[in-house]
Parts: sequence; C-alpha cells; structure tokens
Amino acid sequence: MKSKIVDKDVYKTKITKKYTIFLAKYPEIFSDLLNGSDFDFALYDSLEAYDKRAPIDIFHVYRNGNGIEIKPGCAVDSDLELALSLDAVEKLIQTKRRVEYAQLLGSFYNNPDEKNGWIDFVLHKRTQTLIDMGYGRFAQTAGILKDDDEK
Amino acid sequence: MSKLQELEIKNKYTGELIRTVPADTPETVRAKIKKINKNQHLLKEMDFFERSQLLSKFATKLRFKKSELKDLVVAEGGLPIKYSEWELNIVMNGFKFCDWYYQFLEEKPLTSIEGEQLVKIRYIPHGLAACISPRNTPLSLPLYQLGANYLVGNGAIVKPSTACPLTMIEAYSIMEEMDLPALKALDLAIAPGEWAVDEFIKSPLIKTLMTITASHTAKDILARYGRFLKKTVDRSMGVPMYTQPFKNFFFECAGNDAGIVMDDVNLEKVAKWNVIASYTNSGQQCFSMKRIIVHKDIYDEYLECLIKEIEKLKYGDPTDPDVDIGPLGSRRILMMMEVMVEDAKKFDAKIFTGGEKIDTGEDYGLFYTPTLVEIKPELCEDLSKAPFLWKEEAFGPVRSITKANDIRDAIRLANASNYGMRAVVYTSNLKNIEIFKNELEAANIYINAKPMLVDITVSLGGIKDSAYPAGCKYYPQELVYGKYIYDGTPINLEKMK
Repeated sequence: MKSKIVDKDVYKTKITKKYTIFLAKYPEIFSDLLNGSDFDFALYDSLEAYDKRAPIDIFHVYRNGNGIEIKPGCAVDSDLELALSLDAVEKLIQTKRRVEYAQLLGSFYNNPDEKNGWIDFVLHKRTQTLIDMGYGRFAQTAGILKDDDEK
Repeated sequence: MSKLQELEIKNKYTGELIRTVPADTPETVRAKIKKINKNQHLLKEMDFFERSQLLSKFATKLRFKKSELKDLVVAEGGLPIKYSEWELNIVMNGFKFCDWYYQFLEEKPLTSIEGEQLVKIRYIPHGLAACISPRNTPLSLPLYQLGANYLVGNGAIVKPSTACPLTMIEAYSIMEEMDLPALKALDLAIAPGEWAVDEFIKSPLIKTLMTITASHTAKDILARYGRFLKKTVDRSMGVPMYTQPFKNFFFECAGNDAGIVMDDVNLEKVAKWNVIASYTNSGQQCFSMKRIIVHKDIYDEYLECLIKEIEKLKYGDPTDPDVDIGPLGSRRILMMMEVMVEDAKKFDAKIFTGGEKIDTGEDYGLFYTPTLVEIKPELCEDLSKAPFLWKEEAFGPVRSITKANDIRDAIRLANASNYGMRAVVYTSNLKNIEIFKNELEAANIYINAKPMLVDITVSLGGIKDSAYPAGCKYYPQELVYGKYIYDGTPINLEKMK
C-alpha cells in the first residue's frame, strides 16, 4: 500500500505534522477499510476541549485504491472522528513497530487517562454501515477493539 | 410517610462497610414512578439517533471512570478484578454502538400481493418500564435495562440489587454530571424486591415489568400479578370484570446450559475455554456452561485436561489481579452449592475436584472451591428423579460432567433440561454442526465460540424456563410493539374526495 501526504506544512502544531508522517509509514493499518472510506483524526489539548471546544488540529485519512491519502481538515463526508489527546499522540509517534503502535492506541482507548493520554471516537455514520465498510476489523487491527484470544 | 431507611453496603470479601445509601420507601417509589411518567415526553422529543448518540457519549464518560467503577464492582459484587473489565466492557461497547439496534426498530414497508406498498409496520415504545436486576452483575444488567429503555424512548425505573447498588448509583450520577437530556424520565429504585415488585405490579403507569431473576421468582411474580388482578375484579355486572389492563412481562431467567465436547477437537484448547465459560464470576452467570457433556472416546483424556485447568484457578481476594474466583454473592448460594454436591453424592457421583467450602460464619468472604462432579448419563433421563445439580441451575462454581456415546446421545442429554438459554458445542465435524444447530433446544447456540463474548450482537433470551417470552432477543426489541399501518391514500384519495 502507498501513502501520500497532502499539504503537510499547514498544521498549527508540529506534532500533527509528525503524526501524519508517522501514519504514512504504516498505510497497512488502514488495509481493512473499503476504498472510499474517509475519517478524521482530531487532536485535542484537553478532555475539556474535546467536550466543549474544537480540536487544535484536524486531518483526515482517505482510503483510495492504492493506499491512503492524508489531507488537512475534515473529510467532506466523514465516516467518524477519531479524537486523540496530544499526550497520546506524543507517545504514539515514539513507537517503533506497528504492533507496538496498535497496543498503545488500544490502551489509550481501553484505559483512558486525562493526564497520560486518551483516545475516543464519534461515529458520523451508522454502526452497521461502518462495520460494512471494514471499520470493525480496522478497530481490531488498530488495537481499539480487543480480540484477546487467551483471556 | 414511611421513614426513610438506610442501606449498608458491605465489601463481599472483607465485610467492611463501603458506603451507606438512602433506601426508597413505597411512597418514594410511587413518587419516582409519577415523575418518570410525567417526563417521558422528553424522550420522545428526541429521535432514536439523538438518543443513541447521547448513550454513546455516556459510554465515553463511563470509560474515563472505568478504574473507579471497577473498584466498586469488585468491592460490592465480589467479582475478581480481572473479570470486572468484562462486566464494564459489555455495557460500554453496547452503549457506544447502540445505534446498531436500529435494525430491529426501523419502520418496515410491506408489499401486498398486488405489489403495492400501502402497509408499514412501525415500532412504538410500550411506555414506562420497571426493571429488576440481580446481584451477580452490579452494573451491566441494570445499566443495559436503563439504556435499552432510553434508546427506544421508554421512561424507566430500575431496581438494582440491594446487595450491590453502588456501581449503578455511580453510573446514574455520571448521567447527572453530564446532564443527560431527559434524565428525568429515568430513575433508580433502591428497594428490596419483596415490596418493590408489588408496587410495580400495582402501578397503572407501569406498562412493562422487565425482570432478570430466577425462573421460580419470575413465576412467583406472575402469581402475585394474578392475585392482584383478582383483587381488582368488579362483579357489579354479574360477571367478573378485570378492571386492570394487561402488563407486558419480560423475564430473563435461569440457564442450565449444556456444553458439548466432541471427539474431534483440541482438548487442551477447549478445556481452557470450558473453564472460562463455566467458572467466570464464580459460576454466578445465567449463561455459564453448567452441564459439560463429553464424547466417550475422549472422556478420560478431556477430564484430565479439564481438572488440570480447574485446579489452576485461584480463589481469594478479588482485588488480586491473579484471582479467578471471588467470594460468593450470598450465604444462600453457598448453601445451594453444598446441597447440590451432597445430593449428587447420594447418587454415587464422583467429585473430581473441589467440593470444599470456606465459611467465615458471616455474610462475606464465602467461597466454594471450583468443583467438578460426574453425573452418570442414566440419571439424566427422568428429570423428576435426576440429581439437583443436573436439573436445576447451579448458580455458583459447581459443574457437572457427563459422558455421551455419540452425537445423538449428546443432543439427548443436552435437551434433558427444563431450561434453554444457551447451548455450546465444540466440534470440527462440519456435517455434525448442522445437526447441532437444528436439534439443540436452546435460544442461543454457540458453535466453537470463544467464551464470554462482549460483542453487541450477542443476544439474550431463552426458551423453556429460561425466558419469557421465548426466543433469542435483544432488549430494545422487547420494549416496543409493532403498529400495523395501512394507508390507502395513494390509490383511494380521489374516491375519498
């Protein structure tokens, strides 16, 4: 799979730019999504901002036939918003392997912490539609929904 | 007015007082029912998707409070910390993705024989529901009851178990903190079942009684309802006229699930899953795998694997992350385990492992060691003479194991029960899988499934004495009724003018 980052210098924060570069290294994270899937990554500086205000930076990842395109701003018809705290992103971009990234992302979802990092997501389309688009499998690959076989 | 009472909620393991909470009186319960009824319209001012988004947002709030909630579940419920995660995840996932249930509520057009679409089935919320929850799941079941009603647009009063109401009270306070719209149409009743059930039965405002309880208790509720109806008979017309309207009764009851292990599977793997399916939460789960039925050709080998896995289970302090088996919910459960094992011994049953109790002499810190008892297949034919452990739900860590000659025998044994919640099968024979799917008498069939799934698509319900009405079900489905709407306007409008 290939990656393309569009307008990577437009972001308000350096960390957002770093995160887009990081994600572009692992396009296979998005391989379960159907072509045409498009969703937002929104970075927040606090939980309160997530509750009541706008994100600091936002970009969206579009799944095309060859791979992914990372573009600034919200998707026109976004499937969902993946919200991340800046602390979470700081730690995520330090990971060295895709599996490590997925485990950390999963821990920020399953054990969110206001200080150490958290993620959440808001669905813009119906759950069933998103499942059909491959987001359920994506969430497992990305570590958000656990599939703990040996529990 | 009755004097307000207080309830002392104690730690199930240490007996320490966790918190004292005010308890409702019949008067306060009636006042809550009236308040909910008055505010039900607030729910109808939002559509399904608005309500589902709010529940999804609430799931996020719960997730951020997970650690505190887990501690409460462990303390008041006695669930080991390692399984409290499961207890929380099942509701968090359910609430996060609750719009998935729309498929059961979506208006359905019907095509007539002439090919016209004049008919629609529209799903309408029944109205105010009273919900009663058991003690084994302090959060997931009462919260699922509350959430399902909110989702479809019913007001609801939920009565968590008075043995462990704190986690649910905490969840409700999170709803208050987030200022959940239409929260005035939801409330909790902190009251014992003895009189709360009668209040729910008597109230004409309550349209549905949704109860998760033992099958015998469910039947007792129906008997109480019958007595209540009789008291309200008007004989002035010369014939008995029952003045009270029907209520909807929706019972989730006991399970005595069979788990069949055939001779074509990886025994070590299945034994690991079997132990999780049978002993999680000290076996205090209605859908726990209670009757283990094993093909004769692998019986001895499987037994060895299973005992090895059971004996790995650690019981003790539920806050210890290594502990699998926490304290029992009540002295009554301990007594039932003892009675069932003693009764099985009268039938010359072999006790392969366990069979010991730890009794502090108090109402906390009670344990029964994970136990496996062999029940001979010939004892299972006539339920009136069968051991209690076979015919009744063992709501604790005692499980039976029985040898089956072949697939037919395994199915016959599995179906030899008054209950039919789930049936579990482990086999790799594709031809046999279809036979199991068709012939097992249960509302939910799990073939080669990982135990303790938390997926939102997991259904509840049962047949026989496991549920009423019968069938697999999702709560939102049971809280609405179908309205048939024939609209002939497109073909008859001109004639009407």
